[in-house]
Amino acid sequence: MSDRAGTVATGTGPGRLLVAVYGVFALAAGARAGVQIATRFDEAPVAYLLSALAAAVYVLATVALAAGGHASRRIAAAACSVELAGVLAIGTYSLVDPSSFPDETVWSAYGRGYGFVPLVLPVIGLAWLWRTGRAGQRDGARETGEKKTRTSAS
Amino acid sequence: MTDPLATAIIVVALVVAAYGLLAAVRDRPMDVLHLAGLAVLEAMLLVQAVLGLVKLAGDEGPDSGATFAGYLLGIVLIPPAGAAWGVLERSRWGPAVIVVAGLAVAVMIVRMGQIWSGADV
Repeated sequence: MSDRAGTVATGTGPGRLLVAVYGVFALAAGARAGVQIATRFDEAPVAYLLSALAAAVYVLATVALAAGGHASRRIAAAACSVELAGVLAIGTYSLVDPSSFPDETVWSAYGRGYGFVPLVLPVIGLAWLWRTGRAGQRDGARETGEKKTRTSAS
Repeated sequence: MTDPLATAIIVVALVVAAYGLLAAVRDRPMDVLHLAGLAVLEAMLLVQAVLGLVKLAGDEGPDSGATFAGYLLGIVLIPPAGAAWGVLERSRWGPAVIVVAGLAVAVMIVRMGQIWSGADV
């Protein structure tokens, strides 16, 4: 499974399932943001732009995890970190100031509307990147180290 | 929304998911029946999309027609995407993808029923 670049593919084996779940959320978040922006953008532009950002990050994470190359791993790690930060920040903000989020987004109330999967998914994504990275550490020690630093910084 | 069709789709989606789970638990790769199940599911979703859009074009339908249309069209992407992604994996994780696809379709149909009846947007 380990390739020349010193990393284990992130889109095969159990990663196949992870990418599938990510894909579903990319679709859910993307469709929701698209409808919000197309039909009632004026009501809450900031919330809907955040919704679109969330969707873009899910799409990025899905594609990067599926591709699983050297650069893709870094992109996936960054996307998962942004997701985790986003779900925590927007989740908190939506509870403290509900009026600024008239419509639910995938990250509202820590993803409660989606069974808290948006909260759990980036954690699993980062854990999976870390695990597959470690499996290929022999050749790619430096890259994995960098990734771990970024992971713990979020 | 056509209730008997929606119910039938949920049943088929859950059967497809259960059959996928069976293979995943038994550590078997995907087989032809998984793909056939997804094909049946996709056919039903396409029928639903056509009927749904016709109803929306006439004056039937929920207040949030755009959201409903988004679901109608988005949901038809799931079975082919699940089939294409799962068939590449010759291990138990292939049928595991089918489980996700089936469950996602079932959840989305339930959600569409709520939107149609205006329970909650």
